[in-house]
Amino acid sequence: MKKLSVVVAGTGQIRDVEIQSGTTAGDILHQLNLSDYLLSKGPNEPFFASAESVYDKVNDGEKVFASTKAEVGITVCAA
Amino acid sequence: MRRLKDLGTRPAPNSIRELISRAVRGHAPTTFVPRRLLAYWQEHGWTHSGNRYTGSYHTPYGAFQGWIEEQRSGHAEFFLYNPSNEIRSHSHWTCFQHRGSDWYLVHMAKQPKDVSSGIMTIERLIKEAYEI
Repeated sequence: MKKLSVVVAGTGQIRDVEIQSGTTAGDILHQLNLSDYLLSKGPNEPFFASAESVYDKVNDGEKVFASTKAEVGITVCAA
Repeated sequence: MRRLKDLGTRPAPNSIRELISRAVRGHAPTTFVPRRLLAYWQEHGWTHSGNRYTGSYHTPYGAFQGWIEEQRSGHAEFFLYNPSNEIRSHSHWTCFQHRGSDWYLVHMAKQPKDVSSGIMTIERLIKEAYEI
């Protein structure tokens, strides 16, 4: 088991979770009722895919961020 | 016949003496350090006044000056000052609209639901521009 602190970017609220091996980013977001969010280790790290296992990629006690989906672009601009 | 031979006494090692000393005097009470519950924009030094946020987009390649205007509807417009050549060479450069005095509006195809998520999105874009 690993403990994680999920920081909800917009509010600064911190949600503590404990995950087992194989827990995905989607599992965490679903559990925290953050369905429209993406999980990452910070803006300089890629987002975890929903089905991606988070357990092996984080350290015990680490802080991760949940931020809402956004894309830079205009209608003619590729996402 | 004696099975035990008294070899005399000697001082205990420092580590043992420290352990015993601590047990005798007891531990100092644990200090609980509360976590700061700060939104990402606050944690990264942005300031908020009225409907405007001022600060910098932070990346491993530097901090890039910006400001954000939040409208009553909740829609936010993100601005970046004097984008570097790397940013100008990025495929999303067409999404930057010049608004005068070297300030550029970063157009969002999908609006973030909060200012912090928008800042993180632009920081990712800047980082990407430097890594392509």
